[in-house]
Order: sequence, then structure tokens, then C-alpha cells
Amino acid sequence: MRRAALLLRKDLRVLRRSPLLLAVLVSYPLLIALLLALVAGYANAKPRVAFVDDDNLPETVEIGGRTFHVERTIRRVSDDVVLVPLDRDEAERQLRNGKVVAIVRVPAGFVAQLKAMQRSPRLELETTRGLLASRVTQQMQALVYSLNRELQDAFIAANLHYVDLLLHGGTGTFLGRRFDVLGLERAESRVSDPEVREFIEVAQLALDQTDDALEATANPIELETVSAAGRTWALSAQVQAHALALVTTFLAAVLAAAALAAERDERVLQRLARGLASLGEVLASKVSLAALVAAVLGLGVAVAFGVAVEAAGVQGGEPWSRVPALVPALLLAGAVAGAFGALVATLAREARSATLVAVLVVLPMVFLGIVPREAAPAAGWVSDALPFAHEVRLFDTLLYDVDPWRTALVEAGWLLAIGVALFAAARALMRRLTA
Amino acid sequence: MIQARGVSRRYGAHVALHETDFDLASGELVALVGPNGAGKSTLLSVLAGALEPSTGSVERRVSTGWAPQRPALYSRLTPRENVELFARLARAPVVGVDLPERPAAELSVGQRQRLNLALAFLGDPRVLLLDEPTAALDDDRRAALWQQVAALCTDGGAVVFATQLHEETERADRVVQLHGGHVE
Repeated sequence: MRRAALLLRKDLRVLRRSPLLLAVLVSYPLLIALLLALVAGYANAKPRVAFVDDDNLPETVEIGGRTFHVERTIRRVSDDVVLVPLDRDEAERQLRNGKVVAIVRVPAGFVAQLKAMQRSPRLELETTRGLLASRVTQQMQALVYSLNRELQDAFIAANLHYVDLLLHGGTGTFLGRRFDVLGLERAESRVSDPEVREFIEVAQLALDQTDDALEATANPIELETVSAAGRTWALSAQVQAHALALVTTFLAAVLAAAALAAERDERVLQRLARGLASLGEVLASKVSLAALVAAVLGLGVAVAFGVAVEAAGVQGGEPWSRVPALVPALLLAGAVAGAFGALVATLAREARSATLVAVLVVLPMVFLGIVPREAAPAAGWVSDALPFAHEVRLFDTLLYDVDPWRTALVEAGWLLAIGVALFAAARALMRRLTA
Repeated sequence: MIQARGVSRRYGAHVALHETDFDLASGELVALVGPNGAGKSTLLSVLAGALEPSTGSVERRVSTGWAPQRPALYSRLTPRENVELFARLARAPVVGVDLPERPAAELSVGQRQRLNLALAFLGDPRVLLLDEPTAALDDDRRAALWQQVAALCTDGGAVVFATQLHEETERADRVVQLHGGHVE
């Protein structure tokens, strides 16, 4: 290993003399991380949903004695989607070409059913097939839930009015018919039969509880939302873990690929092959270089995140006590990515193409790692065989899990196995470089 | 000092060096000559152990120094740093080089060739394998090089060099002619 260490020292010296290369190697993955964050942010943007009104909704609707301004009510409860009023044909066309992700349709007779309060009217939802469909369905369910919350107060008020009539008597209307009700109170004074009187008293007591009972039936569980000073998305654990993994993977893979290919470009490998250093030692020096640089710069990124978190006064703060645990993880992740880069270098013809191929291969590897497993299980399986996703989980658990060691060991084990396989493959192909 | 038996070298379908035997005795100065692509550099690389032969074997009984036709050195390191690194790798004493202290990439072609030769002489090898060693050297440096070569041979060492220059072959004890990968 003495000779690998000598070569590593040489590589570090060369790297120090290439500040521009170093700056690009650090800034490029950070730029990618920023772009990914923006894309992820766009993924959180409100999807456009066509709103087709086949019922010619009136401006206002009176339900249970309360007046609803229809459009205003719908807009108020549809926070998570952008509702675009369209006619049916245009909505179908936009759904086909992807301009809207769903159509919500108000069928004819909707308001009449709503006002009759006998049967629940239906809204119709049409979505595309694909990743967004389930998300839009959830958001539309949330929209209907919110509308129901608005309406149920009116329905409960209407029902309580009928209960009040039963209790105290008076005049009411139902399905457009007026009717007079004697009411239990007045009935009690006109009845002499003690059993009937007792029944009326019990009924009065029971009906007095109807108000609360109706509220409780309508909302067995209520969700109370409290705004807290939580982490912003940009400083979240996920973003931090992804940024670390991205910088580590990108930097280490490209650096190792370029460094190994440069040995061949300068025709030094043949000189080394004359007993000065074995191919395994040369490979080990490149993997060590990748690991060392990834650890130093990864730690820099972690500290920068921490400073930003502290400066922003983010709740929870930066888990500074966990940052040292990142060092071995960064070394391991850098070494694995370095072995990957070395493998790329053995397949490329010279340093420039090795660097380009490394970039081209690392990018889809990173994208595979950020595809949610629920969205595309196959992407998850492929990603499991590559280092990036394991790096993300390793950094995430080390920084933020209460008891990270079991997950950390599993992910480190994965990384080690992948790294050994990559190193062995690169070593087997190293002979190509001296041919 | 070096014995090669049945060595050949193939690059894919192209045979750069057909099966060849080669022996180098103590005190010998051998010139490899032939047109471009004759196989001179390939034979030297195989003898030096820089290139694995496709067939055959090479036995080196003494230490060897090798200077390839195109300098094999780290262009971002200075001459001193190159010498230090290769000397330490070879566990040889570090020697001084009379070259500017700037990255090898910024040196002239002749200066790079001098560094290339300096690396070949590291550790005082008993056999030198030099591929067109005087290319790009000025007259004084050429004379100095031939003096070193002659001294080594006189001292019981041996040198094999490839050349395109007829006057350099006159210095050799033996001339090996190559053509199309065959020794003629």
C-alpha cells in the first residue's frame, strides 16, 4: 500500500494544482442538486384540473336556509388544484394532450339533488393513467371532503330546524309543502295518559341532545391543523441527504474516472507496470483519492447546510453531534463511487471520454435513485443495485434517525458489497489500459 | 542479461510483432532499426516489461531502465517531483535533474525527453532500453547521452536502442533489422 499511498499523494498534488477542475467538480453536482430541487418543487405545484359545469351552476344556492356563493365556495376549498372552467369537448381535448391532468364534471341536476337533501349528488372525476392520477384523485377527494364540510353545517342546521319543530311545534316546509306541527311541548299538556306523558318527556330529553349528536355523527374525528415553525423543504433532511449523496457520487465517480484515464493518457501506466506499482495498487490509489476528496467536500457541504440551518433558526437545528458519523459514511460512499468511476475509465478510450461517460452514467443513476419506489417499482429494484439510493438512505439515517445504527449497517453493507463488485470488475478490466 | 523466447504482440487483428527470440549479453550495445511501424517500439516495450507479450516470455536477469519514444511522465508534476515519485516507487535514490522547476507540460520537447531519459537512468539499471533516445536533444546532450551509454557497456551493462539515424547504428555492436513485425 506504500506505492498506492505515493500515487495518492501525487494525485492530491495534481488536484491542488487544478483549482478550476475542483471548482467545477464541486459546483456541478450542487447545480444539479439545485435543479433537482426546483423540479421536485415543480412536482409539488398545483396540477391543472378542468372544471366542466353541465348543470349551469347558479351564482348562489340556498341549502338548509343558508346561501352559498357557488364559485367562491369551490375556489376556497380547492387550494391544492387549479380549477380551469372549460366546456366538455375542450376539457377532453386538454386531458388528451396533457394540459390538464383531470376533469371534474358537475352533472346536470346536481344542484336540484343537493337542495332536495334526499340523495347525495355526485361529482364525476376523470383522470389520465399515470403517476399523477392517484395524486389528483387524492386532491379531488380532499376537495369533495372540504365541500362536504361546508355543506354539512347547512344540512345539520336544516335537520335541527325539523327537530326544533318536533320539540316546540310550528310551521315548516318539506319538498315544497308547508305543514303545521303541534310539537311535543304542547302535546304533553293535552295528554292525560301517564305512559304517553312519560314517553313525551323522554323524547324531549333525547331530542334536546340531537344538536351535539348530529355534530358528532358528521365529524366523528376532527383534524385540527396547527401551523408550526417546521423545517422549510429546502433545509429538510431529505434534501440534505440527497445533496450529500449527489456531491459524493458525482465528484468521486468523475474524479476517479478522470484520474485513472489520465494515467493512460500520459502513458505512465506502462512505466508503472514495470514493477513500480501493480494495477491493483494504481486502482486503489484512485479509489482512495475519490474517497478522500468526497469525504472532505461532503463534510464541507454538511457543515454549510448546518450553518444555513442555524442561521435560519430552523426548528430542530442541525444535528451537529451526528456530523462526525458522516465521515466514515462519506469515505465509504466516495470509495464506492470511485470504484464505479474507475470501472468507467477502464472502458473509455481516454480521459475526456471517460469523464463524459462518467457524467452520462451518473446522471441516470441519480435520477433512478430519486424516483419514488411506489411510482415505479422497477426503478427501485435497479436503484438497489447501484450506490446512490443507499448513500441517500445512509446519510439520512445517520443525520436524523433516533436509532440509526441498524439501518446504517444495512445500507453500509449494501454499499460495501456494491463497491467490492465494482472494484473487482474494474481490476479485471484494468489490463485494457496497458494494452 | 535479457532473454526473450517466442515473444509476439498482437493488437486485435493486427500483429505488431511476430514471434521473435532475442538475447542481450553483457557489454552489448544493440541498435534496432527499421521503417515506421516495423515493431521496434513494441519489441523494446516487451523487453522492458511495459507491455505484456501476446505469446512467449521474457527473462530479465538484471535491473532495466526504459525510455519510451513518447515521454511517459506526469505532465502536471515538475521534473523534480516526477523524479522523486518514480524513485520512491522504485525504492531508488532520488537524483537531481537540471531542468526548470515547472510542470512537465510546460517544458520544451527536448526538456521532456531529457526528463524521460532521467527516469530511465533511475536506480542505475544494468540494462537500458531506449526508444529513439536522441530525438529532440541538442548536440551536447546527445554527446553526453552516448558517453553514459558507452560507460554502462564498458562497465558490463548493456543497451538496446531504437533509431532511425544511420550514424547512430554505427555506434552499435549489433544491428537488428525489423520489418513488418519480423526480425530480419
